[in-house]
Amino acid sequence: MELKPEWSDWCPGCGNFGILNAEQKAIQELGLDFKKVVIVSGIGCSGKIPHFLKIPISGVHTLHGRAIAYATGIKLSNPSLEVIVNGGDGDLLGIGAGHFVNAGRRNIDMTVIIHDNGVYALTKGQASPTLRRGDKPKSLPLPNISDNVNPIALALSAGYTFVARGYAYDVNGLKELIKQAIRHKGLAVIDVLQPCPTYNDIYTKEFYDKRVYYLSSEKDWDPVVRKPEEEGEKMAKAMLKSLEWGDRIPIGVFYQNELVSTYEERIVQQAPSYKDAYPANVEIEKDGKLLTLVDDILKEKKV
Amino acid sequence: MRLNWLIGGQQGSGVDTSALVFGNALASAGYYIYGNREYYSNIKGRHSYFALTISDKRVRSFSFTVDILATFDAETLFQHFTEVKKVVIYNKSLEGTKVEYVQNMEPEIAEKVVSFLKERGYGSTVRDVVEYLKSKGVNAIGVDYDGIMRKVAEEVKLPLSVVERGKNTIAIGASYGLLGLGKGYLESAIRNVFKNETFVKLNTMSAELGMESVPVMFPLKEIPVKKERVQLDGNTAVAIGKIYGGLGFQSFYPISPASDESVYMQAHQEVWYVDPKTGDKRKKTVVVVQAEDELSAINMAIGASLTGVRAATATSGPGFSLMTEGVTWAGMNEAPVVITYYIRGGPATGQPTRTSQADLFFVMNAGHGEFPRIVIASGDHVEAFQDAVWAFNLAERYQTPVIHFVEKAIANAYSVIDLEELGLDKLRADRGDVLLSPPPDYARFKITDTGISPRAFLGSTSMFYTGDEHNEEGHIREASHVREAMYEKRLRKLETADREIPEEDRVKTFGDLDQKVVVVTWGSPKGAVLDAMEELNEEGIKFGVVQIRMFSPFPKNLIRKLLSGKEKVVDVEGSYMAQAGMAMKLFSGIEPTHYVLKWNGRPMGRDEVKEALKAVILEDRKKVVLHGGA
Repeated sequence: MELKPEWSDWCPGCGNFGILNAEQKAIQELGLDFKKVVIVSGIGCSGKIPHFLKIPISGVHTLHGRAIAYATGIKLSNPSLEVIVNGGDGDLLGIGAGHFVNAGRRNIDMTVIIHDNGVYALTKGQASPTLRRGDKPKSLPLPNISDNVNPIALALSAGYTFVARGYAYDVNGLKELIKQAIRHKGLAVIDVLQPCPTYNDIYTKEFYDKRVYYLSSEKDWDPVVRKPEEEGEKMAKAMLKSLEWGDRIPIGVFYQNELVSTYEERIVQQAPSYKDAYPANVEIEKDGKLLTLVDDILKEKKV
Repeated sequence: MRLNWLIGGQQGSGVDTSALVFGNALASAGYYIYGNREYYSNIKGRHSYFALTISDKRVRSFSFTVDILATFDAETLFQHFTEVKKVVIYNKSLEGTKVEYVQNMEPEIAEKVVSFLKERGYGSTVRDVVEYLKSKGVNAIGVDYDGIMRKVAEEVKLPLSVVERGKNTIAIGASYGLLGLGKGYLESAIRNVFKNETFVKLNTMSAELGMESVPVMFPLKEIPVKKERVQLDGNTAVAIGKIYGGLGFQSFYPISPASDESVYMQAHQEVWYVDPKTGDKRKKTVVVVQAEDELSAINMAIGASLTGVRAATATSGPGFSLMTEGVTWAGMNEAPVVITYYIRGGPATGQPTRTSQADLFFVMNAGHGEFPRIVIASGDHVEAFQDAVWAFNLAERYQTPVIHFVEKAIANAYSVIDLEELGLDKLRADRGDVLLSPPPDYARFKITDTGISPRAFLGSTSMFYTGDEHNEEGHIREASHVREAMYEKRLRKLETADREIPEEDRVKTFGDLDQKVVVVTWGSPKGAVLDAMEELNEEGIKFGVVQIRMFSPFPKNLIRKLLSGKEKVVDVEGSYMAQAGMAMKLFSGIEPTHYVLKWNGRPMGRDEVKEALKAVILEDRKKVVLHGGA
């Protein structure tokens, strides 16, 4: 279909452009059926991303912090859809932290991309959950008084089964990570380091360019859990690695474990009909006549 | 014939179960039942009770004043003795127990009981209460619970501590004995409820010994049952209604008194349906998700609705407070989501397990900005079931959130009804304007005369949703003329709904509307009002009853037509501010002239409503506040 392009109204040089390009390319290269791809976003600069893709996917721009909740409802009602969540670090780890953590417990087969820029940019640069204590970007009147959340460690402890970090200006590398995340069976998260050229003059392109390195460049780094007994060790290594921040900042895959059942598989275990007769795949009426049968359950109430 | 019975006891001591057994036995003997359950926000120890009205005809209410009061602990007697008119069953071995020693009773209640007895020259023991009741002509039957339990323990060879849980069964045995019905009904009810053989034996024996300790005082005859009947509580009625209506996705966060609905669904997540292509009976899955909070619950359901499934959540006041932002998103994005709203006592945590009607204005106005919403209210168990289907039809036809009110008073009460009352075959599906194969240039928010845009589902083509103001394609727009056009389009749907939904479906009438007095009510008081009307008619007092079923869009024309020129418009509802009366004045210009109100957390009893209506109609009392219920 002919898509009228929407003008991306981010600031020039915004890291969101890198994420947008990487995500779009990943979807194209994976050969996904565009109409089956749903990008669910939160509020903030990052939240506008579904509107700006140049391919005819669907976009659901939701409420501040709630993208994961919407995505959950969409995916579980129609597991044939490819669902990707995009949100800022304030959106996903601040106002939406409860959903971020509880999503890990479910391990639904979808992808969460954190636009991690350390500030609430669309409200002019207040400190967001990943900003470190003592940091004072130019938008803050005083140094940040709170400690930061470590998105990698949080995701690992919450139960995400694919945990990675990307960098917005390494579009190709990020694209590959997004492809891996989408292919991953289970809940994937990518924490994307994303400079905000307007408000965050600490975590800039210059800052990251000289610090980031790929975990895969370390010769014995293997984040994939292949046997249940490897789980503890690999998670411990990933945790430890997540603490590395300074002159060297690791990006790439920290942890991947497909041995954990997805929420969808767990539903099938309890309700085998979910495999085919999932909600969006069932007709509920014909010519106005309701098709669900309740005779059996009403019989339980017979007196 | 209406016989009123009440049983009470500590929460966790089997009061619910015994009321269920007793009700089942009477239902199988052919009687209709209405039962109301009152309990604390507590798991074990606090006072709970069940009030039943038993009738040979369909009954829709209970009464606080009872013919038979069945007790096995002291507190129930202390809390309810002023409500019994004919027979009290009490535990003989507790005769010496004083009010002051019942530790689980709230001190304010104990104080009230002691001073009531003191003012009448009595002390504060069970024996004093029994003496007082005898002086009032009440038959007090002391049952030797301890003796019976020892006997049962010996017979079933179980420790007394285990058998003690059968005390409530002795109480229902004794209650049942008063009625003179064959013991078979009670025994099979026990078998149905207690599956375990030992417990069946224990309880059957307890019940029989209970029966033997009383004379027959209210002889009932069995009534042949001609029609299929079911016993439904409000939570289950809505759950089954939603499932029948085609529910695909329900999310919830645990909250009293809403959770039982979702838990029932979890237990029935696979249901049968007829595959329209083959005509075969197949199983399908209703996805029920326990969310991490109500923010998640509402937004999951809204997300689900975008895929074309019928999606809902169930909550209560505190939960809905958290959900309101989500509701505005659904309004903005024209998402058909259903919220079943079980009203409990607010504000804040308020009274989690008590009823209320005080959230009407909140729901009518919840959320920032203007958007169409449909608000319906069920008045009984049959409506709760049917409205669950109606809510989906309205949500999908008008593509907007629907809030379905069911109060705690309906949720935790039950009715025995004829199955045919549910009208399964008459209930239809209306999915509204749906595009299964949308054209390539599909725009989700196409501007139309009715305000309703053809709805396609996620997965069928590219489409966009946003909580920001948007254009027809769903892309963010702030242009003032786009804002106006979209704003008007959305609100036009409410006008369309107002035009299309017959006002006769939004207002129900009962009794003689040509009378000078009309009672206006909504929600759970309906049953008490209608049953009180029957009793008052027999006393020659006649009036009409108007039940408001939908508050948004408000049935203003029909209300005006029904109420204009009446001498008395009596507003019966459960809030201090008389919120339905306020809504009526706001939308139709008609103001109630008299009020019967209640806000103590207990549902309206038929007895108190009857007295109040008498005071209003015969003595012209402008406002009567009801206080019924321990």
